[in-house]
Amino acid sequence: MNFRRLKNWFTDRYDFSDLVKLAQSKTVPVHSGDFLYYTGGMILFLIGLQFITGMILAFYYVPHPDFAHKSIVEIVTKLHLGWFFRSFHHWGAQLTLLFLFIHLFGTLLVKSYRKPREFIWFTGFILLGILIFFGLSGYLLLWDERALAGVKVATGGVKALPLVGTFLMAFLRGGVDVTGETLTRFYAFHVAVLPLVTLLLIGLHALLVQYHGLSVPRREEKNNPASIPFFPNAFYHDLIVWLLLLGVTVTLAVFFPPEIGIKADPLAPTPENIKPEWYFLFVFQTLKLFPGEILGLNGEVMAILLIVTAMGLLFLLPLFDKKSSRGEASPLFTWISVGYIAYIVTMTIIGYLS
Amino acid sequence: MKKLFYTLILLLLSIAPLWGAEGKIEVFPTAPYARYIIYESLAIFWLFILSLVVIIKLKLREIARTQKLGINREDAPIPQLE
Repeated sequence: MNFRRLKNWFTDRYDFSDLVKLAQSKTVPVHSGDFLYYTGGMILFLIGLQFITGMILAFYYVPHPDFAHKSIVEIVTKLHLGWFFRSFHHWGAQLTLLFLFIHLFGTLLVKSYRKPREFIWFTGFILLGILIFFGLSGYLLLWDERALAGVKVATGGVKALPLVGTFLMAFLRGGVDVTGETLTRFYAFHVAVLPLVTLLLIGLHALLVQYHGLSVPRREEKNNPASIPFFPNAFYHDLIVWLLLLGVTVTLAVFFPPEIGIKADPLAPTPENIKPEWYFLFVFQTLKLFPGEILGLNGEVMAILLIVTAMGLLFLLPLFDKKSSRGEASPLFTWISVGYIAYIVTMTIIGYLS
Repeated sequence: MKKLFYTLILLLLSIAPLWGAEGKIEVFPTAPYARYIIYESLAIFWLFILSLVVIIKLKLREIARTQKLGINREDAPIPQLE
């Protein structure tokens, strides 16, 4: 059966003409910040690749504290191209988070969150949190001493939250400490809970983008910027970006395969100079800035409260930026956004270098 | 001579635990032939990607040309004579 006959077979049964018309009528505005549109597509593409490589790895991974580390060593050393799929999954995760941060920072600066797109911002922000947890849960699955220590630090910080802290930490760890129970729990999060939540959120985010259309920076909105049809113009541009991204991810996977440390021992003391993954470094560095005690209060609790408050305010930013919603310039919020970005980037660099 | 002897003994004692340490896990094939195949495949893969990019670029140029001429649009249905 050739392609034309196959196409006819389907079109005899299903009417795709409305979908084709929708794709052809959809337009993508061309403006100075349109690279943000492509970063969104890149994240979607990378998440798709993560699902595929994750499924391949899940065929061989054993989520048990006695066998988890050994199974990864076997994937890497014995399985044909196992090292490649593991490395690709690792670099795919790093790039997804990197482009998520770029997408978020860009959205913040061009104020795409302004009325009526507040819910697009909210879903995107929650998606960032979910994908960070995706990264953390995947990190523990390696079950080496660095992963164990990193997760101890990350989940330990949750305890400092007032009222819900102790419960949340026990819920995440499956007990008081990071043990084999945590590994099982994180595996369930990583392969079942988080993928489902991610798919739902991506669906909602994409649906909202379709509903409101793609945003245009406020300054250029009045000039009525040109637009290109989504299909085929923007779609082919997307395809070029995705192909290059695939090449970069493969190259990183080949030249920089991630190391595997010594098998984790929950009873062993935490090794020195342990640092969390790069996307947690700004939080880690902020915690280091605070002294043990401030005015009789626990310094760590104060730091965690400050970080949570700052992140909460960033989440609710579209509700505070009234001027942008009215289509007016709001330099105060531009500076607040620049402050957030500068702080996160600087602290990440300091944390990485120190 | 005595100093040198003691220094050697101390040096041996200090590095002795390293023999008992777990070896570094190789995360990339070590055989030169396997490495050669991987790098060669990567080069071919990039060639494939860049070729596809060029083809898509040409396709985009063609699409832009037809859109400029307006021949991509479908004609309105011809009015039928009653």
